[in-house]
Amino acid sequence: MGAELMSVNNLSSLSSQPVAEHRGESESPSRLAEFRRYLRVFLTFARNSLIRDMTFRADFIFHCISSVAWTAMNVGFYVLVFRFTSMIGQDTGWGRDEFFLFLATVWFINSLVQAFFMPNANEFSELIRTGGLDFALLKPIDTQFLISFRRIEWSAMSNFVVGLLIAGVSLHSMATRPESPVFPSLMSWILYPFFVGCGVAIMYSIMICLAATSVWLGRNQSLYDFWFYITNFSRYPMEIYDTPLGRPLLGLFTLVIPVLVVVNVPARILAKPLNPRADWEWLLAAWAVIATVLCVAFSRWLFRLSLKSYRSASS
Amino acid sequence: MPIIEVRELTKYYRVHRKREGLGASFRGLFRREYTEVQAVKGINLTVEAGEFVAFLGPNGAGKTTTLKLLSGVINPTGGTATVMGYVPWERRNEYRRRFALVMGQKNQLWWDLPAQESYRLHQQIYGIPDDRFRHTLDELTDLLDVTKLLGQPVRELSLGERMKMELIAALLHSPEVLFLDEPTIGLDVIAQHTIQQFLRHYQQERGTTILLTSHYMKDVAALCQRVVIVAGGLVQYDGSLAGIVDQFSGKKIVTLQFAVGVRPDDLARHGTVLETQWPRVKLGITRADVPRVLAETLRDYAIEDVSVEDPPLEEVIADLFHQVS
Repeated sequence: MGAELMSVNNLSSLSSQPVAEHRGESESPSRLAEFRRYLRVFLTFARNSLIRDMTFRADFIFHCISSVAWTAMNVGFYVLVFRFTSMIGQDTGWGRDEFFLFLATVWFINSLVQAFFMPNANEFSELIRTGGLDFALLKPIDTQFLISFRRIEWSAMSNFVVGLLIAGVSLHSMATRPESPVFPSLMSWILYPFFVGCGVAIMYSIMICLAATSVWLGRNQSLYDFWFYITNFSRYPMEIYDTPLGRPLLGLFTLVIPVLVVVNVPARILAKPLNPRADWEWLLAAWAVIATVLCVAFSRWLFRLSLKSYRSASS
Repeated sequence: MPIIEVRELTKYYRVHRKREGLGASFRGLFRREYTEVQAVKGINLTVEAGEFVAFLGPNGAGKTTTLKLLSGVINPTGGTATVMGYVPWERRNEYRRRFALVMGQKNQLWWDLPAQESYRLHQQIYGIPDDRFRHTLDELTDLLDVTKLLGQPVRELSLGERMKMELIAALLHSPEVLFLDEPTIGLDVIAQHTIQQFLRHYQQERGTTILLTSHYMKDVAALCQRVVIVAGGLVQYDGSLAGIVDQFSGKKIVTLQFAVGVRPDDLARHGTVLETQWPRVKLGITRADVPRVLAETLRDYAIEDVSVEDPPLEEVIADLFHQVS
């Protein structure tokens, strides 16, 4: 400790730094420089999360194993279902291969959301409740960006790999089956990742909206539950809601809370259940793009509104 | 031009009043009663660049709320404030690059990671060039003697070490204005002293404008030329530390040491008898009466020693807090 106190005397070495100079450079940073700054911050988040995950190695491995096991159970269940039927619904085109491609899409989107946004949205509610959001608000960077990408749960990406596996097997099976083999076109390959991205963006927006409500609710532990209820609707081909009772749900979850387009649009593009494609499929795809823009814009608006009402917590 | 200007700043919270018991809680589901908490009731403050100002006040006085308002963490109910010409709650990046807030009770470093990983993140967020970042970090870790702890996960550090790490995190971008909310809370005397020393030298070298809240009078006495007492959401005093005693205490403490065997029993007529430990007696005496009382006692009794002191600052302030609340 004595050394510690003495070392304070070194302070004369604290050269009066060119504070003014660095202000000049940060006054109006170019768009490219800003983009690079955000990218660097994101990469640092990714890196720190990985370091953290590796610190808790056993937890990481256990999480991977449990989520892969959960996937295996799901796959087993649907294999079982398809022993009793050859198609979901009549003339929908969702045969076994097509459906497993759908399932792979569910897995891609869910794993991306779980890896990138789930831990952050959940932590956001916690930050609001405990007042930890204070620090995020102090940083000279977009608060929603900071909150949304803080932590990445790399173990959730194990399901992404499993999704690739399921997709590979079903694509292979579709291409090699004797009856009406399907080869996705180049266009499908380009559009598929784009619409998977749209799906992730919609899911992210819904999640941020739910998390932002914790500002007004004080605590929002039902976040995960509510999320699960809503997104459960997205996990099946939308044709299953095409019944008198299901139609209001179909409307609600396509137009108001558009979770149905999240998986359905990209999955239809790659799996091509209807051959030739129907006109409404293109309309649905166009709506998916519009819905993505609307959802992101709405979530951003709600997020900003919630920050205005933020009261911080006692320290 | 002042660097911080605050005019009639107010912050009211509406809080849900919870009544006791299950039945009342159930009724509260349907009809809620709200009360308004006036955390800050109209604060006026002007701070010039390079000042080191202490905010003193009892718990719940509005000190932290004021710092949060000035940092733009929360929005005010009314009034205006500018810091370096910016309105804090607009949360402009240009402003956020130029100040820092340290809260002794909260931590912003990643709990499971070594502090240096959090620092790197700060570097990216603030866009600090590599060479300057390394230079500043080296200096700060050297001064606070924590270079060896940089690679250790934050959760394994002691409270004092963690506070030093938090300070470094806040200073990496060389802020021009620094808000410190109880930076020495819960620390032992040595760690408190180290942080005081560090802050004093840092402020002297850099000329950083600092607003500090603390419960430790030692922090304040060691660091600040100017003290602002906040209580009940209002500024009660703004001036030097010594001035507090002059303004709020009309008393002096006179200690008389009598010769052996001398035990007068009529001392209460001069003032309040604070303590009696024969042969020593402590009296609280109105300032104006001190010369007369001294003259009379010296004339009437055999006295070996006399001292006249101001009452302890902490007592004066405690009295003041008590009066306001």
